[in-house]
Amino acid sequence: MQTERKSFWDRLLTIDRRWLYLALFVNIVVFLLLPLRLPAVVSGPVRKFYNAMERLQPGDMVMVSSNWSASTIAENQPQLEAVLRHLMRKKVRFTIMSVEAQARDLSLRLAQRLAKEYGYEYGRDWAHFGFYTDLIVAIKGMTNDLHDTVKQDVKGTPTRELPVLQGIQSLKDYKMVIDVTPSGTVPDWISYRPKNLIVLYCPTSVMAAEAYTFLDSGQIEGMLTGAKGAQEYEQLLGVVGLGTRFINGIQFSHVLIILTILVGNLALLMKRLAQEA
Amino acid sequence: MDWLQQFLPLNEGRLGVWIGVVCTLAIYSILYRENPFYRFFEHLYIGLAAGYSLGPLFADIIYKYWVDPLLKGEWYWAPVVPFGLYLYFIYNERYGWVSRIIIGLLIGASAGLFFQAFSSRYLPQLNSTLAKPLWITDANPDMVISGVINNWIFIIFLLAVLTYFTFSFEHRGAVKRVATVGRWFLMIGLGAMFGNTVMARMALLIGRIYYLLSDWLGIPVGGG
Repeated sequence: MQTERKSFWDRLLTIDRRWLYLALFVNIVVFLLLPLRLPAVVSGPVRKFYNAMERLQPGDMVMVSSNWSASTIAENQPQLEAVLRHLMRKKVRFTIMSVEAQARDLSLRLAQRLAKEYGYEYGRDWAHFGFYTDLIVAIKGMTNDLHDTVKQDVKGTPTRELPVLQGIQSLKDYKMVIDVTPSGTVPDWISYRPKNLIVLYCPTSVMAAEAYTFLDSGQIEGMLTGAKGAQEYEQLLGVVGLGTRFINGIQFSHVLIILTILVGNLALLMKRLAQEA
Repeated sequence: MDWLQQFLPLNEGRLGVWIGVVCTLAIYSILYRENPFYRFFEHLYIGLAAGYSLGPLFADIIYKYWVDPLLKGEWYWAPVVPFGLYLYFIYNERYGWVSRIIIGLLIGASAGLFFQAFSSRYLPQLNSTLAKPLWITDANPDMVISGVINNWIFIIFLLAVLTYFTFSFEHRGAVKRVATVGRWFLMIGLGAMFGNTVMARMALLIGRIYYLLSDWLGIPVGGG
């Protein structure tokens, strides 16, 4: 029996997808190991984010709403780390809260690590309010009376005894909220926050496209889009964090994907042309 | 042989890293083919994530807002949790009506919250859209030509997409052409969203590869 010989384009179109996975893996490993740091073009939303943070004064109060779990650690951890570094540099007081159970401990551990580096003392300079099941209830409660809503921090200390909350009665006494999240939590902050509260947003790349309407209307003042946004922000801060370390892998994996899309389409076109001929 | 001692799971920290590596490789083994190793770790991950959430739920919600006040003698909080548990009557045919009390409360609260959300979420967007300058005049001396072009693009896209979503009458003639353009604009928007999704997925993969290279193998990544 004679088998029909496959053309080069046919073979390209029937290539085992596992070879593509392997190519992607090798591509990422090679470009992660490359000791090359490509400079970022800082986008408008990241610049606005940075400028809003720069306007904070020492002693101002900021709420960090950290709502990510291990599944989006590669995007949200670089963002949160860069944001906390900036807050600590500016000597700004902050509190953290989470509506995601894993985020409670992930953000607590990250803040504790950075606090040691910047000499931030828990209770005096920052605090963690723990986990909440419903963000809307938490926002509305804290807007009315923060102490009656939160009651205790994550360590069980009554909030009225925390020096960091001296002079703070409700969310109205905060300057800003920074939402680091892979979920649709930012519309809740926009809708129910006190109107004096500036909203900054750190979504995963998936969520970023939906936020441009909020950016355009000024409901969000700035945004870091995923690990790429974190890299741009780290460049503005002058630090080398996870965003900077990931960016070679992100950029060159996209180059590979674009190339494979082009080759795939070319192969399809050539096959059609051959059939028509 | 110091490097070997640092590499092997001989202390708590390294043991955690090795467990993470086994989990990562097990989950990614699906890329080669379906296998029981992957299935086991998939179920393990889902179970761990669900189980993990019970700890913060009890410590930060049930204990803080119910058990602790009761222990302090605030007995008026006692009916709250049993009242909430009425929701589970939904599974009982005879007493299913009891769950409707809770469902009714939830629907009422959600409807009330939506009024506030609508005004503070969408009205500023409407206001921002209507306030976009389409010409440079004395009223907006700071406006630059690129901003005006941007605003025109925004308005054209908006009107075209809104036309596409107008189903009150049949799309014919000029309306049909505008709606078609609106559909193409939507495609561009969805393409941008998909591009972002690809970037997110790549970042997650890179995060795992970074873990293998840096945390497990100790290789400096991204120039150290």
